[in-house]
Amino acid sequence: MKKSWLVIVPVILFILVAAFLYSGLSSDPRQLDSQITGRPFPEFSLPDLMEPDKNYTQAALEGEVTIINVWGVWCVTCAVEMPYLTHLKETQGVRFLGLYFDQDLDPDNGTKTLNRVQQEVTDLLSRYGNPYAFNIFDVYRDTSLDLGVTGAPEHFVIDREGVVRMHHVGDINERVWENKIGPMYHRLSGQNAQSSEGAGR
Amino acid sequence: MIRLWIIALIFVSSMSLAAQNSYEFDSEAQRESFNRLTAVLRCPMCQNQNIADSDAMIAHDMRRKVHQLLQKGKTEAEIIAYMKARYGDFVYYEPPVTLGTIWLWLIPLIFIACASIIVVKRRKPQVSPDMAEKLARADEILKQDKS
Repeated sequence: MKKSWLVIVPVILFILVAAFLYSGLSSDPRQLDSQITGRPFPEFSLPDLMEPDKNYTQAALEGEVTIINVWGVWCVTCAVEMPYLTHLKETQGVRFLGLYFDQDLDPDNGTKTLNRVQQEVTDLLSRYGNPYAFNIFDVYRDTSLDLGVTGAPEHFVIDREGVVRMHHVGDINERVWENKIGPMYHRLSGQNAQSSEGAGR
Repeated sequence: MIRLWIIALIFVSSMSLAAQNSYEFDSEAQRESFNRLTAVLRCPMCQNQNIADSDAMIAHDMRRKVHQLLQKGKTEAEIIAYMKARYGDFVYYEPPVTLGTIWLWLIPLIFIACASIIVVKRRKPQVSPDMAEKLARADEILKQDKS
């Protein structure tokens, strides 16, 4: 009786440790838990990238399901996903807003003029397609920090009340859209359309 | 040639010093807070570097934010909470004690406890009743021999 116990306990321990280590094999150490999901979009007051006189606040995100795309011209993956985002905008009417931030622009001692940034953005968008309703210029990268952005591209699905419902790190391609972001986007727009219909009756 | 290398090294090291010292502080205490905070906050982009050590853009931005918050009069605990609210517990080198992380401390303790129990149990001299009888008989024989 005592001897079987001596065999069973190490075997159970071994299985537990093996299962734990095996699950570690496929986990991505770079993946962080998003802190912003489920919370309202952080307050901001930022200029339009193309028309700096225009100013946006978080109110610009409300009223329509929106996907915020954090990007920059220096980011290669952002350029790669641009045609697909444009395709989504044209075929499904997805509302994309760009949250633009510049890597070379050191807010404390800037090395680039706004004109040059605008020129680079116009060039890139004319080459790969322009999915954006408009671009918000995150000059000091403060809003990116508030969102928990670590790089580009990153995407945030915002519902009509301005609450962040999903944080996706990495690009949007067909697979990601079909499996992850698309269902969430359609559910949010469907749900909200229904509830506003209900309110109208 | 060596002299050239030394000059180059001095140049490079003074450049990195300049990068560290580009922030101005109201007091020496604030500078110390800044150095402490940038040492205990982890860069979310890098796998294991603090934000003082990393050259990633996000680390630059976080250092700037730490400096900004210190200037606003925030305490160190408030700044750590500020970063945790954005980047999660990952960003701070001291993990919080939760149901999930308590095992980091408990497993070694449980291991030590189990191991010492096993060691103590094994050390016990095993005198079977059978053996005790034999010893008693041997003693008797010895006594008989002596007398």
